[in-house]
Formats: sequence, structure tokens, C-alpha cells
Amino acid sequence: MASQPTTLLQGTLDLLILKALATGELHGLGISRRIEQITGGTFVVKPGSLFPALHRMEEEGWTSSFWGDSENNRRAKYYRLTKAGKRQLEAESKRWGRISWAIAQALEAS
Amino acid sequence: MPVLAKARSLLRNLFLTQRVEQELDLEVRSHLQLLIDENLRAGMSPQQAQRAARMELGGAEQVKQQVREQRLGDSLHSWIADCRFGARQLYKNPGFTLTVVLTLALSVGANTAIFSLVNALLLKSLPYSHPESMGTIYTRINSSSAASDERHNINGEQWELLRDNVPALISAVSSVGTSGVNLKAGSSVQYVRNARVSARYFDVLALQPILGRSFSEEEDRPHGPKAAILAYGLWRSVFGEDPAILGRSILLKGEPHTVIGVLPQGATTPLNADVYTPLQPSRSGEGGGTNFQAITRLREAATWQEADAQINRTWLNRPGRYELVRNPSAKVSYHSVPLQRGQTESLRPQVLALMLAAGLILLIACANLAGLTLVRMLRRTSEVATRLALGASNWQIQRQFWIENLLLALIGGAVGTGVGFLGLRSLLLLLPERFLPVASVPLDGRVMAFTLAVSVLTSVLFGMLPALVARKVDLRSSMADRAVASAGSLRLRQSLLAGEVALTVVLLAGSGLLIRSLVHLESLPPGFNPNRLMVAKASLDDAHYHDPAAFRKLLDESTAAMRQIPGVENVAVGSQLPYEFTGNDWVTFSDGKEAGQAGGADWVYVTAGYFETLQMPLLSGRYFNEADGPDSQPVAVVNQSFARKFYGGSNPVGRHIYKDTLIVGEVADVPLSSGLDPVAPIQTEETLYVPAAQLEPHTLSIIHVWFQPDWIVRTGGPVEGLTSAMQRALAKADPNLPASGFYSMKDLLARTLATQRIEVALLGAMAALALLLSAVGIFALVANMVAQRTREIGIRMALGSTLGQVMLQIGRSGASASLVGVVLGLALSAGALRVMTSVIYGVGVYDLTTIFVVVLTISTVTLLATIIPALRIASIDPARTLREE
Repeated sequence: MASQPTTLLQGTLDLLILKALATGELHGLGISRRIEQITGGTFVVKPGSLFPALHRMEEEGWTSSFWGDSENNRRAKYYRLTKAGKRQLEAESKRWGRISWAIAQALEAS
Repeated sequence: MPVLAKARSLLRNLFLTQRVEQELDLEVRSHLQLLIDENLRAGMSPQQAQRAARMELGGAEQVKQQVREQRLGDSLHSWIADCRFGARQLYKNPGFTLTVVLTLALSVGANTAIFSLVNALLLKSLPYSHPESMGTIYTRINSSSAASDERHNINGEQWELLRDNVPALISAVSSVGTSGVNLKAGSSVQYVRNARVSARYFDVLALQPILGRSFSEEEDRPHGPKAAILAYGLWRSVFGEDPAILGRSILLKGEPHTVIGVLPQGATTPLNADVYTPLQPSRSGEGGGTNFQAITRLREAATWQEADAQINRTWLNRPGRYELVRNPSAKVSYHSVPLQRGQTESLRPQVLALMLAAGLILLIACANLAGLTLVRMLRRTSEVATRLALGASNWQIQRQFWIENLLLALIGGAVGTGVGFLGLRSLLLLLPERFLPVASVPLDGRVMAFTLAVSVLTSVLFGMLPALVARKVDLRSSMADRAVASAGSLRLRQSLLAGEVALTVVLLAGSGLLIRSLVHLESLPPGFNPNRLMVAKASLDDAHYHDPAAFRKLLDESTAAMRQIPGVENVAVGSQLPYEFTGNDWVTFSDGKEAGQAGGADWVYVTAGYFETLQMPLLSGRYFNEADGPDSQPVAVVNQSFARKFYGGSNPVGRHIYKDTLIVGEVADVPLSSGLDPVAPIQTEETLYVPAAQLEPHTLSIIHVWFQPDWIVRTGGPVEGLTSAMQRALAKADPNLPASGFYSMKDLLARTLATQRIEVALLGAMAALALLLSAVGIFALVANMVAQRTREIGIRMALGSTLGQVMLQIGRSGASASLVGVVLGLALSAGALRVMTSVIYGVGVYDLTTIFVVVLTISTVTLLATIIPALRIASIDPARTLREE
């Protein structure tokens, strides 16, 4: 099961995965750890949420995958962003920016 | 491209399932391994590392399942799996599957066949360009005594007014139907169908000849040049598709006609003739009566309202309107209707009645199938309960069930289409030539769509009930309890059965009435001796025979030659025989208290010897004889109905009609097909017989356009070889006169009653089908009771019940349902069959014989369908059934 915040906002998990892959190719566990790292541990993505999302995003054409060797020589499936994935990341980031700005505005209003 | 990526994934998921699964498995395992490595690096012991990794993963199989569930095409996958499971279930129950598929095939087949007719006659557009702007004209007559709204044939005056004063329409007229004529091409003489049409006829149909042109105004004028247009088929078969045919002269009806055009291949017209000639309509002769059929096409930018207004304006101003002759105070108006409706109006009620009957069949089949699937559902209660207990959702159970029904419906529908196709072919074989006003009855896309819709609808109807029952499956009780036949479901099945028996009774009673009516018509007292008669028909629509002397010479020589045939006792010629469609004339009375009066009567010309050959009893006066020639006193013979209607039953002999025609004899009535006032397909009515030798040239020039005379031979010898001898005798008198056909009196009667025979055959087949389905229903109910209650029966018999008592107990379920059905059906028939009043003759709607036979038939079938499955009780061994428990 995913941690609480990702189920709250549809698309948050996709955005985080896209962002995690923005710096380069990663395997599943790598993506999971990277998300933990860049969100300062706020989001912990469990395999039960991660893998369905990864497979769905690959079917959408945002990522592509290949088999490679990990740092300690294990076979692992790596994911990387496609062109469509990069466009998606851009669009999602903008959207997210607008939402968080709007939410912040709403909360500040007295 | 995201779309491409999606499509690729979908295809991979659907067709490379194994590879996708393997990869997923590897990925999840590698993930676990990476987690273990991570934990080890953090300093855990191998066991701890394993445990923590597994906990974080949260169950490999669950993760995989979650991936699977959001895969593209996942739902498709589970549908396919359900279909496979369903197909396996059906395969495992061949008895059930076979019964359902056969029931569906028969009922869907019947509906497909009948709907093809409905489609061809009422739904398909006519095969012309812009069929929606084609029409014909109906006459609406409203008076205190009668009201009608139908297509009338029109006379020459109406035609000229329509042509000249209705600018909103392109109009044309034709002869009513086709006539058989002789075509002489080279040395051979062919008997072909000729239609006579006015100029613009092919313009209204929007048909362009592939060679030559349509008829001109000049050719359509009375006494205009004689021209002919060939249908493609005739051009090919007789003239070998010779392109030089244009301008050539062919001998048609004994006169040269110039070929001016050839119609395209496959072109149909409302008349579908082999050769078309100009109608040359006028106000006199043929045009003096209503002998033309009008078709119209709306001109561009005109409306039907304008057209109708113009028609009414010009037709209502005629000085002598025939519509008012019998009913001077009637209100008459005219209106256009689509040509298709005009062409098929007379068949519409029959076709719709058949469709209704087919619908009843479908309902009966549904009731049967609902009963069958209900039992099957109840038998599977424990399976359903198990699946529910294992976590299947209600929706999944229902889906599985509906998929099985749909599979059955599709298989049944496919077989039904085949059955329907065969049924339709045999139905079309049954119909006489040119019975339907359409060229073909195809199984087209619309029929296929209908069949599919009917099959699916059936499956929904028969599946609904069991599905509702399955909803109420109670987990605990059904897992524990193996006995499933609840009293409620038996009641339900009995009600279904009673319903289908009731509908069967209606169909049986309906077809029973038609059969009784046909028997009545066929067994009308003939008024002549129909045995050992042979009839040859030939077309005398020939310029040569407009001359009375040539006509008389032909009759004399041909009858004399036929008399030479060994075994022949008597020979005569007449314009009509009993049972045949008969023309009529307006007879004026010129003496006694009837002087100045007039009335319509059927009109037949005969040679001397006609009455003797047919052995029609003479009631008073004398028959015609050879002395009644062209130069002697004009004479006539009337029948009994004539004497009764016009002379109040007093002796007509010695009275005068027309100017100076003397009635010399009175003969007995014979049944005929009336054009005068048809109340039944054949009936007896006032008839006037005149000697063929006294016909006037103008009568001869017109009568054979409509009627082909009959050569009648009464033989004492064998019938074999008689027809060729008759043909040779005819050829001796005129070598260019082919007989168009040979008939016995039975054939002529069958031709006249073709519609009734077809009605009987079709409705009879439907009723038989309904009876079969009901029998299957009763049989299934009782057989099922026996199977379910084997244990109870064993106990009863162990306790001393006799076999008879048990059989009665079990069989009662089917018999009582059937009894209720019969009562219900009779009540239903009392109301429903009243619509048949117009198609039954000589028998009332509440006919005791019919009711008795229907009840007897249903009872017998019920008894058989109950006893046969109940006999299985005899093979039940009480000891063994009890031990099995």
C-alpha cells in the first residue's frame, strides 16, 4: 500500500516517479529510494503501488525499460524517461505548481 | 508515440502473456534480492534481511496481481477466461446445450424466414433511384354504407386528366399485370410474358434502356406504330445479345413490332415482363373501363400536397364518375401513397399476421428455455455458493451466467440463420410464380441484424428469470442442503408451461380454422364433373384472331382434331373454366318488369358442347348448339344465381337482355373466382354464358388481352400422352399456337386457392413448431421432477406406494400445467381469433370441431410428454436409492 499522501492526490505518484527518473535511469528499488530521498522521507512508496504505476507508465509510453546489472552485479530492470515522459514531467510539474500555489493561497486567505 | 506504445503493450499483454508474466516474475524477484542486499549492507543477519525484505515487498503474488489488474486489456483477458469456462460448462452438459440450441435454432429460424419476407415486402426500398418520390394513387370512399381507401385501377379519362392536368407528377400507366403472348422469332414460337406500358413508364421508374430508347408519345398514341422493348433476359435467350436488334421487326401477337430498346440486366419493373409494348391508352375500348394501373414520380421541387390537390381538382370534375354508380352520396377523394405500399398492401395483413405468429413461437421458446435454465441454475446452486464463499463477487457470478446465455444465444442464432435460410428457400418454392411483387427475397444485412437482435433478446428474456433466482442464493443453506427443488420454482415452471401451452392453443386454433376453411372451399359442390378432364391454355392475343371468321375456324378445326384423339369423349373451348378468375359485364334487361334495369354479371364465352363436356346440369331450356352461329338469333345461357338475382327465381328462358339477346337455357351454378364482388376466393354468383361463334370483332380484339381461353377435353382413356396429343391437335389448326400449359381441374382449383394453401402451410408449420416446443417443455418438466425426486420416489415405493400412484403424483405437475394452459388458450383464442373473420370461409371463428381437435391434440401430446419420462420411475430401485443417501 502506498503511504497516505499519494492516495490523496491522483497523479502525485506518477509525478514523483517521473521526477525521480529525470536525472537518469533507475531500477524499481532505486526509484523508491530516490523518492524517499528527494521528499525528505515524507513519501515511502511500497512495491504494491510502485510496480503497477511503473507498468502503467510504461504502457502509456512515458518510460521505457531494459535489463541491466546493478551496482553489486544483480540483474535488475531499469526504467528511463522517453521523450513523451519528459513532456509529461514538464506538464505535470506546471500543473502541480499551479495547484500548490492555489492551495497555499486558499490557506492563507482569512 | 504514446498511442503506438499503448497498442504495442496491448498486443503484448494479449498475445505474449507468458513472456510478460515471466518478466514480471523476474522483476519482482530481483526487487526482493535488491532489498535483501540492502538490508545485508545495513548489517542485518541473513535471516533478518530476508524477513524484512519480504515484509517490505508485502507478498510477491499480491504485487503481481496488482500489476496485472491495471494492465491494458486485463478485462478482456478475464472475459475470454469466462467464455472458455462457459463453453466448457456447455460442453459438459450436451443434453441441455443441444435442447437449448435446437429450440433456439427452430424459433429463431422461423423468425428469420418470416422477417426476410417482411423485409423484402415492407422495409426494403424499391430498386429504383429515389424510391421515396415514387407513388401511386389511392381512392378514399366514404359513405354511410361503406368506407374504403385502396388503390383503384383507373380508366382512360382519368389517365388523360392525370397526364395533362397534374404538372407536379411524372405519370404513367400500364396494363394490370402481364399477359402471355406468342413471340415468333425465326422459325420458333415462344410463349412470353408481355406488359403494355404507356410513354414515360420507364421515366417514372428511372430506368434507361442500355440499347435504344423508351417509348415515344407517338408510339403511345392509339393506332400508333407498333414498337417493343425487350427485357435483358429475353434479349439474351432468344436474340443472343445481338446488338443489331434495334430496328429489327419481331412477330408478336401475330403482328410485326419494331424493337426500339433493351432494358439493362437485372432491371426490374412492377410488372417484370419479358417484352414491353406501348399501351396506347384512350378513353374508348379498354380505356372505357378501369383497366389501367397508374404509377407516378414527384417532379423536383414539387410536393405530394401539390400533387394531391391537382389530382383531386381534375378527377373530381369528371361528369360521370364510376365511383358513384352504386353509391351516389359517397364522398370521394384521392391521395398519393408510396409506390411500395401500393404494391404490397394486399399482402401486408398476411405477412404481419405471420410475423406475429413467429413472435409467439419466440415467446414459447423463451418460456421453455427459461424453464430449462432455471433448473440448471438450481442444480448449480452449490457451485455458486462455493464460488461465493471463495470470494467471487455477485457481479462475477452473474457475468459468468450471462456469458453462458449469450454463448447459447449466438450458437442458436447461427444455427437459426441456417434453418431460416432453408425455411425461406422452401417457402419460396411453395409460392406460385409471380406471387410476390418483388424480384427476390434476400437474407441481407438487415435480416442478419434482426436475427442477431432476436437471438440476444431471447437470451435476455430466458436468462432473466434464473438470474433473479440466483440472486437469492443463500450461502449457508445451499452449501449444507443438496435438495434443491423448491416448491416456488416448480410453480414458476408450471406457470411458464401454462403460458406456452396457451399460446400454442391460439396458434393451433388459428391454423385449424384455416384448414377447415380450405377444406370447405375445396369441397364446395362443383356443379360439374371435375374428373377425367384435361385443359390446355393458349394465348389468342393475336391480331389474326380479331377476325371472327378466323377465330371460329380455329375453334372448329382444333376441337375437331382433338376429338380424333383416342379415348376422348368430348371437347369444348371456353374463355373460363370453373374456379378460374372471370371477367364481367354490365347486363341490361330489355323486357318484362325488369326492362330498363341493369346489373353486373360474370361473363364467359363458350363453344357448343361446353356444358356437355363439363357435365353441368341443365335446369331449363337448352344448351348451346352448332346452329347458334354468327348469323342466327343472338342467344345466351344463364346460371341459377343469375335467374334468382335478376328474375326473382322465375324461369329466365325466353327473356331478352341487351338489345335482342334471347336467354335459351338455365344451368346449375359452378364456383369461380370472382372479379365482380369477391367475398371468398371461390364462390358461386350470377353468370352469363354466350356462344363463342356470336362474338363481335371489338369484343374479340379486347377479350384475349386479359384472358387465355381453355381447350377442355373429357377422356375415357388414359391421361398419359394426352397433353402432347392435344398440342399436336392445336398445331394442326395453327402451327404458331403453343399451349402455355396443361392443367387438370384439380390444378386449376389449386391455382385459385394458392393463397389459402400457403396460409395453411405456413401457419400450420408454426403451430406444429409451437406444439413441438410445448411437448419438449412438458417432457423436460416431468423428466426433471423424476430426476430430482428419485430419493422421495424410492422412499414412497419402499413404504408401499404402487408404481401407478407415483407416476400419477409426478406426472400431475406437467398435466395440470397443460390443462391450465388449454383453458387459458381457449379464452385467449376467443378474443384473438376474431381478427381472422376476413380470411376464413364457410366456418365460424367459434368452431366446435376445431376447438375439439385442438383440445384433443394438446391432450394427446401432453399425455405422451408426461408418460414417457414418468416411465423412468419404473426403473427406480427403492433399495438402491435409499442406500445411496
